[in-house]
Amino acid sequence: MNARAVGVAAALLVVYVGVPLAFGGAPYVMSLVIASLTIAGIAVAWSLLGNLGGLVSFGHAAFFGVGAYTSALLTMGAGWPVLLGLLAGGLGASLASLLTMPALRLRGPYFALAMLAYAHIFKILTVEAEPVTGGAGGLLSIPGFPTILGLPLASKTGAYALILTIVIASCLAYAGLRRSRIGLALRAMHDSELATRIVGVPSTRLKAAMLAVSAFITGVVGAFNAHQIGFLEPDYAFSGNWTLLPIAAAIFGGYRTVWGPPLGAVAIYLLDQLVFKEFVPSGHGLIYGVLLGGMILLSPGGLLPLLRRWSPFRKASPGATVAHAGR
Amino acid sequence: MTELTLQALYSGLLVGGAYAMIALGLALVFGTMRLINLAHGELVLLAAYIAFEMERGYGLNALAAIPVAIVIVGATALLTYLAISRIRHERELNSLILTFGLAIVLTNLILMRWSADIRSTSNGWFQEGVVLGGTLFSMRSELLFFLIGLALIGAVHLWLAKTWNGRALRAVASNRAAATLMGVNPARVEAFSFVIAGLLASVAGVAVYTASVVYPALGHNLTVKAFVITVLAGLGSVPGVLIGAVMLGVAEALTATFLKPSLQELAAMVIFLGVLFLKPSGLFGRSNTVRR
Amino acid sequence: MRSLGRLLSCSFALALAGLAPAGADTFAIGSHVPLTGNLARVGKGMDEGIAVAVALANEDSKGKHSFELRRIDDETSPAKAVAAVERLAAEGVVAFTGGYGSNIIGPASEAADKAGKVYVTSGGVSPGLTKRGLKTFFRINNEDGYGRAMVGLLRDLGVKKVAVVYLNKEATVSIARYVERELKGAGVEVAMAEFDESTKDFKPVINRVKLRDRSEAVAMVGYENDYVGILRAAAVLKPDVKAMVGVWSLATSQMNGEFNDLMQNVYGTALLPYPVAFQGEEAKRFGETYQRLHGKEPDYLGQFGYVQTKLLIEAILRAHDKGVLKTGGLSDELRAAKGETLIGEVAFDPAGDNPNFAHRMGQHQGKRVEIVWPTATATGKMNFPGVSW
Repeated sequence: MNARAVGVAAALLVVYVGVPLAFGGAPYVMSLVIASLTIAGIAVAWSLLGNLGGLVSFGHAAFFGVGAYTSALLTMGAGWPVLLGLLAGGLGASLASLLTMPALRLRGPYFALAMLAYAHIFKILTVEAEPVTGGAGGLLSIPGFPTILGLPLASKTGAYALILTIVIASCLAYAGLRRSRIGLALRAMHDSELATRIVGVPSTRLKAAMLAVSAFITGVVGAFNAHQIGFLEPDYAFSGNWTLLPIAAAIFGGYRTVWGPPLGAVAIYLLDQLVFKEFVPSGHGLIYGVLLGGMILLSPGGLLPLLRRWSPFRKASPGATVAHAGR
Repeated sequence: MTELTLQALYSGLLVGGAYAMIALGLALVFGTMRLINLAHGELVLLAAYIAFEMERGYGLNALAAIPVAIVIVGATALLTYLAISRIRHERELNSLILTFGLAIVLTNLILMRWSADIRSTSNGWFQEGVVLGGTLFSMRSELLFFLIGLALIGAVHLWLAKTWNGRALRAVASNRAAATLMGVNPARVEAFSFVIAGLLASVAGVAVYTASVVYPALGHNLTVKAFVITVLAGLGSVPGVLIGAVMLGVAEALTATFLKPSLQELAAMVIFLGVLFLKPSGLFGRSNTVRR
Repeated sequence: MRSLGRLLSCSFALALAGLAPAGADTFAIGSHVPLTGNLARVGKGMDEGIAVAVALANEDSKGKHSFELRRIDDETSPAKAVAAVERLAAEGVVAFTGGYGSNIIGPASEAADKAGKVYVTSGGVSPGLTKRGLKTFFRINNEDGYGRAMVGLLRDLGVKKVAVVYLNKEATVSIARYVERELKGAGVEVAMAEFDESTKDFKPVINRVKLRDRSEAVAMVGYENDYVGILRAAAVLKPDVKAMVGVWSLATSQMNGEFNDLMQNVYGTALLPYPVAFQGEEAKRFGETYQRLHGKEPDYLGQFGYVQTKLLIEAILRAHDKGVLKTGGLSDELRAAKGETLIGEVAFDPAGDNPNFAHRMGQHQGKRVEIVWPTATATGKMNFPGVSW
């Protein structure tokens, strides 16, 4: 237990202090790290939905955009403080996920593409709702982050700390959910949905909850991005890249784990921007496609079945499952 | 007013024919293997760029590109099948992600080879207007490929219904295990469905090149459209794909004429979701394989 | 291939820089342009013009100073543009030239401002850009210039009914509304038709224009693929119009070459005729150097890129000579500049805009593009009424 605490403390020290010390003087690198952490956040949300909710979504950009616009509009139009706006962005995205509830009844690929349709629809609605959202022109000069306790969050280091905290908090929430009763129920559900329905576990409601949580996290990250860049427009906020890159990152990093997706995001984003971009200036986006395809083909056993098996936390023997249930 | 409506219907019909060609390949693979090939749009796009290459690089008519495209695109489709067949677990979703990745690779390769410039045929013959009955206007290429499309779709339908291979395909789609027992080699049939999809995509690609402009990002849009139509039609019905495609085309044209062209995509997406939620097996589909 | 050309032109500039004797000053100029992504084409065009300006500056200042161009591809992404600006600022570039797309220029220029660096562009015409109070932001063109040219031509044509067919992106919506306002103010009947980027079949829209609106002229505001689609639909439906008028990316050599039949008698904004006939020594030098570096004739993008960078370089030299370059005097020098350039007279106002900017209208005539409006700068007679079908 002690060794573990030390390990965790060391890791925290490295990311919160070590990284800014090492790269703080290179704003370009810090910008890239911040961008990669933005992707990481969505990747966590996406794999949470996939692992706990059993749903693969191809439209997470929808929640990203809704979160971004919600926060931007509230902070610009209603004068809300930015940090509160971030939370509001998350809530806005969760509310938007309510609209996607009917899709929960659909099977795998259909659900994935229904979410894609939602992303397109939200984007078009944002363009059409011009009086509110600024239409195609978007919103310029979105307020930046405030200074908290002497640390200017608008600085590169500050923004880095903020997004890092968001990502870590999301991962902890994800891990917590997995260990909790809800996680147990979801795991049981995926072992046999029929059995759990008979026992009385409200599977659809649980899935809806996971969708809302995943949307919340994505919304907060979207809101963060809006305030960090200071500019928003429909094409950017709902861009397919906000769906594609997190998926590639999660698959690459190890989709079944909690920390795999965020680590994967940082790894491939930085690899792409710092290495591949130098060698193949035009078309280095290729890499993401190759990684996705490669992982699917080469990773032993393929992608861990989303609907059935679980994380390394789950023990294979029935004895342990009974012990859990008895708690 | 009636003139406007008639033209909208006509435009929608022709566009629908082209959509049907694009969608049928996806629908066929989906029907046989229950897999969505997210790279299908890129196959169509590849064929379109091959047509461009034939026209500009070799000075040939775009139609001459069709056999070349069939070879290249067919080969790519076959490679896709081989990749997918390597997946052992959770084929449905893994192949979704695999083809997602493949689509990105293809789009970027097209971008690298032909740049982001828009391309379209410069051959005047294709672009000339054809008037039917004094009120219905279209480009010659649109009408031509509508007729070609109809013929092709009819041929596929007959092939599925009448020939041994076609019926083997339907058998595999219906019940893979039972089909194997009946002497069908499912792997060969599945590979075959991919190749046919490639063939359809090739003709569709040349159609798109002669009737409108192409650019690398178009692939994704085509895939989405094809999937919308596949869902609209439902599994197992080739005429369903044609009717669904025409319905979509007409809905778009009517929206563009009487509302705003910028709402076209919204209309398509709403129709898509509507069908998914209300009648998931599609308008003409047989089995209910969509809900949990 | 193109990247080879870029590499060569970059090395060329760098080589010239390397030839400068010790003791001379080297000025590093930062540039972020979209070389990949949606705006790759226009970014590349601008980049070529920028490279020519730097090359010519190195020729002119040989022995005294040298200029080094440091460009980063922003991949049509605002985040990457901001990162590029920050990186180049940290490397110590003197100022920035480049940027395409108001949504990218917005954040990028704010980042440049935070670093205290001047930012000059020709790729952002949105009105919002010059309303932010940034002292370091400058642009040589603006949306009004395009709108004014379009409205000016339409008014001179004397048409009474115009249909405006426009894409629902920010810049195009803005110009469409400007045109609508101005034309209505002049008593012209205006019908508006909005489309989005997924629209490929323009027949429904053109049919409506033909049968319901019965417009005399069609004003198109979009990008190349939209123009081609609209013109094709018009060629098929043959509405009874007298002129097809567009804005950017239309009256270009590329469109004339690729879609010659379709383009006949079509009007678009253009600065110089095609084949380019440069008048005046500076222009001729520009044309020759462009041809030498890039193997082709310059288009409007290259012209803009060249002018914005040349103005910047001249201001840098003046500020350097006055000794105020390192103390933030570049902005003032740029603002104080007045003079004729390839695109006409440029003078920056306190907000960084160039109110003098007035585009010209060209018309495709055969294999040429003639400047037909304003008549003072015309190189050929207008074909009116005239359409391609």
